Amino acid sequence: MGAKPKVAFFDFASCEGCQLQIANLEEEVIGLAELVDIVEFREILTGKAPEYDIAFIEGAITRDVDEKKIKDIRSRSKVLVALGQCAVSGGIPRLKNNNPSLDNVKKMVYGDKYNMPHLDTYPTKAVNEVVKVDLYLPGCPINNKEFLRFVKEISLGIMPKLPNYPVCVECKLKENECLFDLGQICLGPLARAGCDAICPSNGVPCEACRGTVDNPNKNAMHEILEKYNYTVEEIKRKINIFGVDPEVKK
Amino acid sequence: MEVLKISKDDFRSFVQKKIENSDQRTIGVVKKGSHFAYADLESVEDMQMDYNVTMLPPKKYFQPPKEILLKFKPKDASSYVAVNQCDKIALIGVHYYDLASLFLMDKAFSDGERDEHYMKKRENSVMVGMYPTKYFKYRFAKSVLRDQAYKVADIMLVDMGDDYVVEVVSEKGREYIDGGNFVENKYSLLEIDEAKNKIKDDQRIPVPIELIPEYLVKNHGHKVWEDFGNKCFSCGSCVLVCPTCYCFDVSEEVELSLQNGTRVRTWDGCMLEDFAVCGDGHNFRKEKGARFRHRMFRKGKGLPEKFHSFGCVGCGRCAYSCASDIAGPVKILKYMEDNK
Repeated sequence: MGAKPKVAFFDFASCEGCQLQIANLEEEVIGLAELVDIVEFREILTGKAPEYDIAFIEGAITRDVDEKKIKDIRSRSKVLVALGQCAVSGGIPRLKNNNPSLDNVKKMVYGDKYNMPHLDTYPTKAVNEVVKVDLYLPGCPINNKEFLRFVKEISLGIMPKLPNYPVCVECKLKENECLFDLGQICLGPLARAGCDAICPSNGVPCEACRGTVDNPNKNAMHEILEKYNYTVEEIKRKINIFGVDPEVKK
Repeated sequence: MEVLKISKDDFRSFVQKKIENSDQRTIGVVKKGSHFAYADLESVEDMQMDYNVTMLPPKKYFQPPKEILLKFKPKDASSYVAVNQCDKIALIGVHYYDLASLFLMDKAFSDGERDEHYMKKRENSVMVGMYPTKYFKYRFAKSVLRDQAYKVADIMLVDMGDDYVVEVVSEKGREYIDGGNFVENKYSLLEIDEAKNKIKDDQRIPVPIELIPEYLVKNHGHKVWEDFGNKCFSCGSCVLVCPTCYCFDVSEEVELSLQNGTRVRTWDGCMLEDFAVCGDGHNFRKEKGARFRHRMFRKGKGLPEKFHSFGCVGCGRCAYSCASDIAGPVKILKYMEDNK
């Protein structure tokens, strides 16, 4: 990959919170800038470059104009990384797809101003539904330490891998009280770890914002949720927040 | 074995003095929300002697969840330096089943190639054990243990109400109590024995432990593995909280500068899906049932055959921590007995 990889950041439908997590690295941003050449990053600098070794894409794809732009970025990038859950799975912007009428969604959110032209979007797509994605950095928001690991490993020519174990592992290592014990419903047993169990560590149940492990045991989860008297609708609503396929065999 | 006694008030003053004066870290059981955990004591006020079970066993002090083994410079193969952070520590109030677990851990880490990272930490520790004073629904230690605890304890405490009877098990223990108000024991053997056995276990292992290796082999094809495996999240909770599980993963981490790196080992476990994945991607325990069976075979056959001691100490942590309530050995063996 030559001396210093050229790295760029782009955003689509998202809150830009994942890029903010990178800006939040503060002094480590300087180390990052020494390791790689940041050529485009709207949140912290101005400038453009013709091509990129690594393009980090935040956000979901919701318009034709986005689709053209992401295809153009792809054609000029060696490695394209989906940064954060909106890019990985559609994330929060994908929630609107659950509603059969996008007009109703707009009316719900914007009231009588719903017809403004810039609100015109199609059903949300994850980045990999439009272009080839090489690597996924999930989470809402991303874990910025994991982001640094990805950058280091790509720079060293190592293929970065995500943990394929549930959040329960990280809770156990931190000796957290299990939220099931405290009468709460937590998606930790299904959810992909890598966040250092940040929510359960602060008493907040996991919502699987990083998606699930490769083979989540949804049937077992279904049994537990039923044991705690949650209705199927409540279960689906909870599991669906981050676009995790809620289908369970009944 | 010398047997002394100390009043509970004097024992607490003794511990407070240790916290204040010693070059040794004093570790005890503290409250963590509605549960208990081992932690460094800042004051004896935080020390809980009346607890049911801690979330993690004391192994976290000897095999930390994440431990640096060595430092290196990625571009210089000869640059590595071993790192072994091992303070002097004293653990106070360790239940007998957790002491018994260290008996197994010591064997695992000293058998063949001696693991200095673990063994140095153990050598630098003083273990003040005790008999539990609180009931724990999932505990079945009495039905699986003999006297292993005494091979690890330096001191054993028995709660007699206002006093502790103090059994001085080792020379290290003898030195540790120096300076405390430990006096001649006035309790009879019968009274002490009653106090040791005051807290009963509701659960018992349903198969005699001597027969379990053979029993498991006979039941290698039993439906329990698939039936329970189907309910398993592969979340690893059972093995991570287990006091006799010691499996780990080793990996390298480098600083952002790419100039300095560390080799770390972290807890791993056979119930996690990728535990048995090889370099070429093949997973030789791909199915949940196979992993579920493997764990029981480790505890009930592999470890007993290697170390002549049943691989489970009956603490009940796995059963308690399992969201699907399938991990407890008592439950597994009962299901096998009921479905012959």
